[in-house]
Amino acid sequence: MTKDAELAREAERQRALLAAILAPQPPPVPVGWRGAEVRARRGLGAYRVNARASAGRALAASFGTLRTMLGEADFNALARAFFQQHPPLRGDLGEWGADLPGYIEQQAGLSAWPYLADCARLDRALHQCERAADAEFDAASLARLGDTDPALLRIEWMPGSALIESRWPLALIHAAHHLDAPQDSDAAFAAVREALQRSQAESVWVVRSGWRSTVHRVDAAALVWTRRALAGDDVGCALAAAGPGFDFSAWLAHAVASRWLKGIGVRID
Amino acid sequence: MPVAQPLRAGIGLRHPHCAELLATLPPLGFVEVHSENYFADGGAALQLLHAAREHYAVSLHGVGLALGSAAGVDGWHLDRLATLVQRIAPARVSDHACFARAAVAAVGAGAAVLHGNDLLPLSFNAASLSILCDNVSRVQDRLQRRMLIENLSAYLSFDDDVMPEPDFLSALCVRTGCGLLLDVNNLMVNALNAGAADPSAYCRAFVDALPLGIVGEIHLAGHCVVNEAGSAPLVIDDHGSRVRPEVWRVYAHALRRFGAVPTLVEWDTDLPPLAVLLDEADKASKLLADLA
Repeated sequence: MTKDAELAREAERQRALLAAILAPQPPPVPVGWRGAEVRARRGLGAYRVNARASAGRALAASFGTLRTMLGEADFNALARAFFQQHPPLRGDLGEWGADLPGYIEQQAGLSAWPYLADCARLDRALHQCERAADAEFDAASLARLGDTDPALLRIEWMPGSALIESRWPLALIHAAHHLDAPQDSDAAFAAVREALQRSQAESVWVVRSGWRSTVHRVDAAALVWTRRALAGDDVGCALAAAGPGFDFSAWLAHAVASRWLKGIGVRID
Repeated sequence: MPVAQPLRAGIGLRHPHCAELLATLPPLGFVEVHSENYFADGGAALQLLHAAREHYAVSLHGVGLALGSAAGVDGWHLDRLATLVQRIAPARVSDHACFARAAVAAVGAGAAVLHGNDLLPLSFNAASLSILCDNVSRVQDRLQRRMLIENLSAYLSFDDDVMPEPDFLSALCVRTGCGLLLDVNNLMVNALNAGAADPSAYCRAFVDALPLGIVGEIHLAGHCVVNEAGSAPLVIDDHGSRVRPEVWRVYAHALRRFGAVPTLVEWDTDLPPLAVLLDEADKASKLLADLA
């Protein structure tokens, strides 16, 4: 056998083993695996069990609210199914799961809870925010707001900041699953039910506070501003799009106090 | 003239132990972390690792380079590792003689190169050795440093295994200049799963078949036995209990052969109180000191 043929055989052996681990059901033992079939099956079974357990743990670390909402058994079943259809592409499982919200939307069995996908998006944003680069606020850059044309300025957000726009009361749902005081649970879930009944939409802003990422409700007046400024529009354009109902000064004071901003940058085109 | 201090063993640093470790700073040779857990650009985990680095040497032990993959090493992964190495200036960088990446068709991913996120076994032949050497060399060239490569606990083996594993690993070290991270618990797990008549003798023979000078670190850990009706027990390298007595004996044998080698006690599942892990590390340190 030529060297190329030997390399191709090794590549195929590796592909067959990984495919056997990912398959919904254990396939027949491939030709070339050593030992009695029962032993090879047990070996393959060990890898299959470990892969699914690792997947469940990794997704639980990234999607904590979703796990609480579904319960451990249903969450693990979802993780197993997701692992088979959207397996990791990277060796860092902390990066895996970007496709989970979209996958949830496609699951007929979860359609009774149409807000689950947005809850997963929020979990993912919170997880990514806590992994984002650390940054300092450049207070001196605020002076640019007073001496530079707003059309030349751009908001520089803290790394990991994200806007999640939702048709569902996302902030209330999230808060109800992260209560400091368990005795508040009944009132919190009653508020969620009422908000769902009146189709209350809530978009949320995710930003880090210290080492923890935090969730902030974005009101209608600030939503357009936040969306446009986050997309990279200059300050002038984003303010024009936000309209007269948006109080930039009040927002800026809150954003600075809450350390949402890295600074005010000058646009370079 | 300063007197050389005997080596002290290290422990795997896991998040639940970080606060206590940094508050008490017990004497340890080093701490070891899984590199991939610190690939993020920032955040609390990385900050804790920097804090640990102020007091201890750090060994970066990867579980995801998938160095034996015929599909090659993921450039993104290598970039992240290189950044981490630059940030932490580790005492050692290691990963495993395994594969995890392969082009497999999955429903959502299409026919992409997937990552199994496990330490999947290689066959021991010229082709798999060639792939492993190419990938190890690529990583060493990028990192500009020597790596240590760990022997696996494997639950499958293959008909085209034509090289004894010690010869395979020795050849890897000779051809690439890398070193060996010898996991003696993995030797015992493989011996037990292979049904070796004398598992300890099997492990000692493995150790004796390795050339002197290539072992740069030793791993110790616990394993468990899974019983299933109708088939032989399966021994799993779960890193979830104290090091077994028979593994300690193989470790002592390895130290007699290789001399004092940096040694790590790993514990990844069912984490005990830090004191238990430190007690295991003390046992290893005493064996290291006995050589001095």
